[in-house]
Formats: sequence, C-alpha cells, structure tokens
Amino acid sequence: MNLIIAILLLPFFTAAFSALMPKVGTARRGLVALSAWLQLAVALALVELTRGGERLVLPLGGWPGRFGIVLAVDLFSAIMVTLAAVCSVAILHYGFFETPRREEHPLRLPLLQFLVVGTQLAFITGDLFNLFVAFEILLIASYGLMTLESSGAEIRHAFPYFAINLIGGLLFFCAAGLTYGLLGTLNFAGIAERAGAMTGDARFSGLAVLLLCVFGMKAGLFPLYFWLPKSYPIVPTPVAAFFSGMLTKVGVYAVLRLLTTVLPHEMGWLHTALAWVAGATMLFGVAGAIAQNTIRGILSYHILSQIGYIVLAIGLFTPFSIAAAIFYLAHHIIVKTSLFLIGGVANRLEATDELDAMGGLWKQAPFLGVLFLFQAFSLAGIPPLSGFWGKLLILIATVQTREYLLLAIALLAGLLTLFSMLKIWNGAFWKERPAPLPPPPSGNRPNLPRMIAVIAGLTLISLSIGLGAEWFYQLARQAAETALDQPGYVRDIARALPPPPLP
Amino acid sequence: MLIETAILVGFLFGAGTWLVLQGSFVRILFGFLVLSNAANLLVLSVSGDPSGKSAPLAFLGAPYVDPLPQALILTAIVIGFGTTAYLVFLLYRFFVDFRTTTFDGAREKEEKP
Repeated sequence: MNLIIAILLLPFFTAAFSALMPKVGTARRGLVALSAWLQLAVALALVELTRGGERLVLPLGGWPGRFGIVLAVDLFSAIMVTLAAVCSVAILHYGFFETPRREEHPLRLPLLQFLVVGTQLAFITGDLFNLFVAFEILLIASYGLMTLESSGAEIRHAFPYFAINLIGGLLFFCAAGLTYGLLGTLNFAGIAERAGAMTGDARFSGLAVLLLCVFGMKAGLFPLYFWLPKSYPIVPTPVAAFFSGMLTKVGVYAVLRLLTTVLPHEMGWLHTALAWVAGATMLFGVAGAIAQNTIRGILSYHILSQIGYIVLAIGLFTPFSIAAAIFYLAHHIIVKTSLFLIGGVANRLEATDELDAMGGLWKQAPFLGVLFLFQAFSLAGIPPLSGFWGKLLILIATVQTREYLLLAIALLAGLLTLFSMLKIWNGAFWKERPAPLPPPPSGNRPNLPRMIAVIAGLTLISLSIGLGAEWFYQLARQAAETALDQPGYVRDIARALPPPPLP
Repeated sequence: MLIETAILVGFLFGAGTWLVLQGSFVRILFGFLVLSNAANLLVLSVSGDPSGKSAPLAFLGAPYVDPLPQALILTAIVIGFGTTAYLVFLLYRFFVDFRTTTFDGAREKEEKP
C-alpha cells in the first residue's frame, strides 16, 4: 500500500526544499502550507482506508523475512497521523499570522517539517529500531527548534530536556539491541510471535520494563517529568503548541502500541504498575499546575496530569479502557494545542505571561475569552464538551476494574484542573489590569483576528468531538480492537512480506 | 571474549555516568560520548561470540557473525555524531553567553549580571 510512504515523503521533501529556498517569504510559506494540507488529506485517506479494521502494510525495499523495514498503519496509527497533521496545519497558519514574513527565522519551517517526519514515522513504523530512529529524528528537530529563537538565559532551561532525551535515546538503543539479542527480531510482529513463549522469563520482563521506562520518559510520566514544564515555556508559541500537543503523545502512543500489539497481554503486574505510576503523574502534574503563576507554566503542568489520565486508561487494560485512552488522546491533542495558542494570543495582547500582571482580556478580546472557556471547560471535563466524555469513559473503566482509589485520584485531579483553569480565567480575563497597558511595540503587528480564527477552527474540531462523541467513540473502539488483535497483526504483516528466497 | 566485553561495557557505563553527573559542561559532553560508546559495544556483543566466525561477506562460506547488530550500531553512530556536533555548538553558545563552562558559574552570572 504505497499511500503510506506519502505521509513521510511529503514533509521530508518539503523540509529539504524549504531549507534550500534562498528567501523567506510568501513562496516558501505557500509551499509548506500546501504540503501540510496535502499531508492532512493523505492522513484522512488513511483513516478512511483503515476504518473497517484493515491494516495497510508496506515492506520497504521488498526484503523477505523479518529483517527489512516494515511500515504498518492500522486505525489507531491513522488517527494519530491525522491528529499530527491537523496540529501541524493549525500551528503553521498561526505562525504565519503571528510573525511577519520577513522576521521569520529561516530554519523554523524546515525544522518543523522534520519534526513532523519524525512524529509520523513513529506512528506508522512496524519495528522497534525504526521507532528509535523516528524518536531521534523528532528529538534532533526539537533540539534545534528549542534553541533556535531563545536567548542565552532561556537555553539553560532547555538543558534538562537535552539531558533526559540523550539518556532516553541511549537506553532505547540498548533496549532495541537487547531485544534483538533475546528474540532475534526487531519487527513488532516478530516480537509478538516469539514473546508469547517468553512471559515469566526474568530477562524478558526486565526488557519490557526498560522499554516502558524509555517511553514513559518521553511521555513525561512520574517520576521523570521535571524537564517538561521547564523547557516548554521557552519556545515560541506555535512551536510550543506542537510540542505540547504531539511530542509527549508520541511517547504515549509508543506505550499503547507496545502493550497492546507487541507484548503479550498476560503481563498484568506491568499494567498495574503503569496504572499507579499514572495516578502519581496525575496528582503531581495537577499539584504543580496549582503552584504556577504563568499561563504557559500552568498549561505545561496540565499536560502531565492529562498524560496521567491516558496512561491510567492504558494501565487498566481492558478493551473498553484502551478505547477510552484513544478517545482521550484525540480530545487532549486538539484541546492542548488550542490552549497553548490562546496563551500565545493573550501574551501578545498583554505583553506579559505573568498572571499577576495581566487582566482585562475579557474586554479586549471577548471572542478569545469564549474560546478559552470552551477549551478550559473541556480540559476540566464539563459536559457536553469532549473532555467530559473522555473522562467519563476512563472513570467507567476504573469502576469496571474496581480500582476505586485510582478513581478517587482521577476525580480529585479533575477538580483541581478546573481550579487552575479558573485561575487563568480570573487572572488573565476577568480581573482589572493592575497597571495600564504599555504602548504596543512599533513595526509589524501580528494579525490577531486571523490568529484567533485558527484557534476557533481547533475549538470547532474539539466541539464536534464532544457533540459527536458517539461516532468518535465507535472509531476509538474499532481502533482499540484492531490494536489489541495480535494474531491478526502478525498474520497481516506476514501476508504482506515477500516470500523468502529459495536456498 | 564475552566476559571481557561485559566488564568493559560495565566500566564504560560507570565512567560515563560519573562524567555526566559533573557540573562542567565539557565533562558532561565527554560523558555522553563514553556512554554512547558503551551502548554501541553492548549492542555489538549481542551478535555473540565472534571467535571462529568470519565477517559477513558473500562467497566466504558460513559461519558468519550476525551482521544486524553492526547495522544498528552504524545507525546509532551516525545519530550520535549529529547529536555530538549539536552539543559542541551548544557548548560554544553557552560559553559565549556566560563566559564559563560550568553550571555554577552560569548561575552566578545570572544572579548578578
């Protein structure tokens, strides 16, 4: 199925061409925007093709046996690919309206496209080593983006991000090598086939824990989350929105894919441990958010508590809870991206990010306030917005599995989420501004109405997830079912591979 | 052969970890280099005891050493090279901004500029 490769080649060639184009300007922006919309179209086509539970498999290079690189897309991958494409379109347009054409850093667009290449490769790859390569591509692009437009003092806050990801990359590489040593294959299907006989083997259990640690590190799970709230606030708004929407979710995707499709389902102790780690992440994330006093700081900590919800649903490990996790993932990516963009507009309007110094946004930009209320209530889980259905599904899953303590933690985290969202609402929108606004800086002004229009588009998507929850839930259920179907996965991959050559 | 490799890998991981935990950026950079070599050696040893086996070339006749871990290492070396180059530039930028290569020095500079 050759359409799969388009989702990689489009951003890859866009990145290469746009880096080589001599001038920043309209032509380059047009090229990147066109490519982003095309990527979205391809992603939607992939969803349409996999909606019935089919798997699209592309063995690259036609290598026989289990040694070549295999790309495999099922509905879960296709949903993630689509979300990444939506995010990328939104933040590109936001960036276009925020920064005047001539002031854009010449490397920002190419690096963003490379980031998309890494993200999409992580979602569609069918072997462990290729997943490592995808992580490295997106990490290197993100290192670049993080230091590209920040000052010296800000760069210091990015060091924990570099450190944790360099160590994470090394551990992932070791884990991939050890997997090959233990099982003789790196292919997801090959691992799934051979791991069944290894359950209970201490070496295999250790390997599984190592892999989960690596992915948990990327996802920002407790206790290795300290890098995230420090580093995300220093990057420019559109880049931060993509980071917060997609990057940690790549880690969550890897955890879900590993547990459902690759590892045997009988590892109950691992799932329980993961659920409790998720509970701790939720509490610590939301507690950190309460202590923050900037919009971006609060939102960054909220990424953690929301990751906790998703991983909790994965840890409960019933078909229902996996579907809930996928639904929540979709809701969370859209809402988080748009909240970061709202924070960016608020920052522009108020010339500060400190909640104490802000105020009166409600009078300045009432429509922005309406959008913020929708998305913040959605994050907190007020019906009928998308976050309510996501939380409801996860809470039902905790009741089904009789994890009442985790249920209590999840409810408490939800309440505190609402509290810190109201803190932003009171601080930035509702109260009077303590000091009068400084005069706006001279030079090119950002195009605020259009920036808000981009956010409105994202809000519309998350509203439709909330109002059409049944349809989206059925999609998530089908995605979970396909992801959990290991024999089917092994069979579909084997069918697509060329037969081994005769000796 | 494998026991010696295991000891060497353990030593390299230990030394790399110690270097990474230092306060000076230069040492951290060297720590990452050592750690990535340790990881490469670990993955290389996955292909098993090489004694009595030949390099995986055509027409030599079996038994071969398993070539796949070597392919993995090659990829990791390339990625590690890129990351190291990036870190060297970051170190330079850090030095230009703070006129020091230790984190304590940078913190002092930040507190009283």
